[in-house]
Amino acid sequence: MALLSNATVLLGKELRTEFRSRELLTTTTVFVLIVIVLFSFSFDPTSEESRRFGAGLLWLAFLFAASLMLQSCFLREQNSDTLSALRLSVSDPFAIFLAKVTANTLFLLLTELLLLPVFAVMYNVPVLPSLHWLVLVCFLGSLGVSIAGTALSAISAQARMRELLLPLLLLPLLTPILVASTEVTAALFDRSPYVQWKGVGFLAVFDLAFLTILWLLGEYLVEE
Amino acid sequence: MKKSVLSAMVVLLLLGVAAYAAFFVAPTDAKQGVIYRILYLHVASAWTGLTSFFICFIANSLYVLRRQPRWDWLGVSAGETGLVFTTVVLLTGPIWAHPVWGIWWTWDARLTSTFVLWLLYVSYLLLRTLVEEPDRRALLSALFGIFAFIDVPLVFGSIRWWRTQHPQPIIMGGPGSFFDPTMYRVLFFTWLAMLGLMTLLLRQRYRLEAMRGDLEIIQRELEAA
Amino acid sequence: MKNLNSVFAAYMIGWTVFFVYYISIARRTSVLREDIERLKNSLNRGK
Repeated sequence: MALLSNATVLLGKELRTEFRSRELLTTTTVFVLIVIVLFSFSFDPTSEESRRFGAGLLWLAFLFAASLMLQSCFLREQNSDTLSALRLSVSDPFAIFLAKVTANTLFLLLTELLLLPVFAVMYNVPVLPSLHWLVLVCFLGSLGVSIAGTALSAISAQARMRELLLPLLLLPLLTPILVASTEVTAALFDRSPYVQWKGVGFLAVFDLAFLTILWLLGEYLVEE
Repeated sequence: MKKSVLSAMVVLLLLGVAAYAAFFVAPTDAKQGVIYRILYLHVASAWTGLTSFFICFIANSLYVLRRQPRWDWLGVSAGETGLVFTTVVLLTGPIWAHPVWGIWWTWDARLTSTFVLWLLYVSYLLLRTLVEEPDRRALLSALFGIFAFIDVPLVFGSIRWWRTQHPQPIIMGGPGSFFDPTMYRVLFFTWLAMLGLMTLLLRQRYRLEAMRGDLEIIQRELEAA
Repeated sequence: MKNLNSVFAAYMIGWTVFFVYYISIARRTSVLREDIERLKNSLNRGK
């Protein structure tokens, strides 16, 4: 199918661009690390308190990092004037979004997985017993953040004050992700960890809903 | 001009009757006493705000599909009007909460969700101020408006679910705690009056936006001349 | 009862918000009307 092959080619381009310099990944990872350290100053990260607050702080850190990382998504294209070339190279503009969403999800997931052990050690939270479930919730959450963030990045790139605008637009929109991801993660950090299937289902619904809207509106987001 | 003055007076009359009903027709609540009467204003404003945001969503969708300026005008009018009603919800909530609970704010599900809703549409209006070209501004804000409105049920759903995981004082009893049929009638009538007010405000704001459109046309003619 | 004061306060605040918004629209409309008149005149003079 033309859409998938176009998206794959574009995904390759996104990944190659990023891994050539790795600047996005390194800065995002360091930023999340800084936020995690700073959070530890605002309360005493004993085991009990970490179990209660840790999940929320972790996801807050991810959201902040994502809202900064996603700015460059369409800004890069604008600065190097490649957006029109991109648009001409594909028959369906959704391929552009599919590629960027996949790439952004990957980058976010990588950052999260890199920082999960650091967080576990610094905050005394057990991560290993429920690692595969944590990966699942990180994936679903990051996917939702990416979908909304990529779409909004296309919007904010065309406005003024775009550095401040993207977080402003994105963070209220992502409240459901923050709520659901925190709940599922907190359940996994619990003394007797369990999977909050309701939360997992909710994340999947969010991802599906926003992906559908992005599919419907994609061509207008990159309109000339 | 005459017609708009007449309709304004009708709306004012409806609002006056609604207020009278809220104070004198509706019976006193056994548990809360007089304070619950704020609910008529609070809940009706909430419903009206959501109605306005729904109109905004429809206008946004129609603009994206048809690109006629009047849908953009309706969109921004409905967005602003909805924000005004939502502001009233956020202001009357704490006024009710304080005598009942002794605290001004509580992160109860409905207030929290309403706050997020308020932030979403503040962002919508803020976005519009940051794009200068009228057509681009209309398109970008319409697109964001669609995303924002789709998010609304997800926001309310997630926060409600999350808050019931950790039981909080249910500040706003909501329709569930209304048992008397008279109360329902007064609430419904207040809502109708509010819808009248919403229509009035919408129309005024729409006219303002349409005039702005005219101004831009004249400015362009001047530049061309 | 003191609670009645709170109820009055709530209604007053609500109506004030609506009233202020209505006035702000009216003010912006009249300012805009003046601008349009001014520009129309300069357009006619130009012609």
